[in-house]
Amino acid sequence: MSVARARRIQRFPSQVSARGTLIKVSIGVAKGVVYLALIAGGILTIFPFLWTVSASFKDTAEMFRYPPSLVPPVFRISNYITLFTFSERVQFLRWYLNSILVTVCSVLLSLTFSSMGGFGFAKYDFRFRRLLFGILLGSMMVPFHVVLIPLFVMMIRINWVDSYRALILPFSASAFGIFLMRQYMVTIPTELMDSARIDGASEFRIYYQIFLPLSRPMLGTLALLTFMGSWNSFTWPLIILRSPDKFTLPLGMANLLGTWMGERLWGPVMAGAFLSVLPILLVFVVMQKQFIAGMTAGAIRG
Amino acid sequence: MVRVQARDRWVRFQRRLAPYLFVSPFYVLFLVFLVIPVFFALYASFTNWAGLEVPQFVGIRNYINLFRDKTFQLALVNNIWYSGASVFIVIPLALFLAVLLSANWLRGREVFRAVYFAPILTSAVVVGIIFILLYDYRYGLLNWALAQLGLPTPNWLGARELKKPAVIGLIVWRWTGHHMIYFLAGLQSIPQELYEAAMVDGANRLRSFIHITLPLLRPVLLFVVVTTTIGSFQIFEEPYVLGAGPADSGLSLAMYLYRVGFQYMRQGFGSSVGFVLFAIIFSLSLIQTKYFGLFREE
Repeated sequence: MSVARARRIQRFPSQVSARGTLIKVSIGVAKGVVYLALIAGGILTIFPFLWTVSASFKDTAEMFRYPPSLVPPVFRISNYITLFTFSERVQFLRWYLNSILVTVCSVLLSLTFSSMGGFGFAKYDFRFRRLLFGILLGSMMVPFHVVLIPLFVMMIRINWVDSYRALILPFSASAFGIFLMRQYMVTIPTELMDSARIDGASEFRIYYQIFLPLSRPMLGTLALLTFMGSWNSFTWPLIILRSPDKFTLPLGMANLLGTWMGERLWGPVMAGAFLSVLPILLVFVVMQKQFIAGMTAGAIRG
Repeated sequence: MVRVQARDRWVRFQRRLAPYLFVSPFYVLFLVFLVIPVFFALYASFTNWAGLEVPQFVGIRNYINLFRDKTFQLALVNNIWYSGASVFIVIPLALFLAVLLSANWLRGREVFRAVYFAPILTSAVVVGIIFILLYDYRYGLLNWALAQLGLPTPNWLGARELKKPAVIGLIVWRWTGHHMIYFLAGLQSIPQELYEAAMVDGANRLRSFIHITLPLLRPVLLFVVVTTTIGSFQIFEEPYVLGAGPADSGLSLAMYLYRVGFQYMRQGFGSSVGFVLFAIIFSLSLIQTKYFGLFREE
């Protein structure tokens, strides 16, 4: 066989032989199957969200109509009106604002403490550093439920029950956050510190005016992760918060379910569910890369 | 001259003190809100403390009663099911999807990634509420779809044998995309040349997967398996919202702890549950890490 023919077989198999066509078609089929599987899975994944949005614009009759429809024939906003109408046990807007308040505070504190801790571990070589860092890592192994009961009792003793201090403060310095900030700050050249010191800057100024601004990418990631954790937090608020007007959103939604499920008021519940997940989905769409980078930061290196 | 020396010493002292000050917020909070409570829980677990009564030392009676308690045994078995599903259903599925997504000819990878990842961003409680509607016996979409296909339409949330599968369905929906992201990152860090070299040597897809991909994914696999196991033994929100179900068939260990410690107000007994949970998680992590062999220290 000539060299030219051999090369032609390699690059244009289907033009040369029947067998080549078979290979090309089966590769095409395989690719199609892959796309089909991924799209099917994607539809299954996204479907509950779509259904929630759709159901929130239907009234009860339409929602339980048979056969069900994805796009409501008429877009009604009555569910949303019901949701926001004030009543003793359902204060959706209040809960939304509460969640925003708690989350913003948590994020600010977490960024502060994590960046300080990360800076300390990244840029200083101090006695006990190894030991302290080991303790830091070890603390991540203690499951939350071990301290749940005694922490609650402590909250009672210091009168922090039903307060936002109890929600924000105990978890404001996260070991994982310090770990992430340290990993990032290690890559910032230490020479910056020396030249700053020669210019007479205090250590805190070095942290605040040099390293903090340079760590903005990782701060963004950490902010996202903290935002997510705080916005969705349920167990601890469930235990700590007593008055309905202080509830955060997940707690409020569970309450909503209890209050309205008996009356089959699913429409407003779905409206509430949609509004609850909207912020985080929007933030995710905008900052996808940072989100994913943050979550995988610890894993790949082991 | 002396003033310059004194100032020099002050500056040097500041510099030596600085790291401790920077890391101190964490350790103060750590001490107050983690260490003290843990030791207090340890003490409480050996007492009969309940409600407002004065606790009395009872030795290991809580632990003995715990292992005899039928509800605890049920919660333990349920939780083993949840963990098993988390490790043996979610992880292989996530790996499979990651492999599909890492094909270099694939278009739209970012979109797929975003879609699959979205479920984990949302609150388990809110999603649980949505799933209650989807699982509903008469009006739920799942049963409607099953009916269209001519399949049986059982009472997912109300039948004892189906409660756990229903919760597991929620877990799979929520966590597959999250694990998939980790595997995707791991897969993308494997150099292409290895696969090309294997193909020259005549290896087919399956063999190169088994002998190249899996070994090189070991660190990521270990991380995902360990963190999944740890997480699965602390499942609370999913079964809480879907309901522990008929005859506690969906009850998880964390729910049991909540019930005992906060609904029955038996703090001493509840603390012992916490430590048993801790012991289970800790020993499983240790076993898994040893079994996988690789434990890369930082």
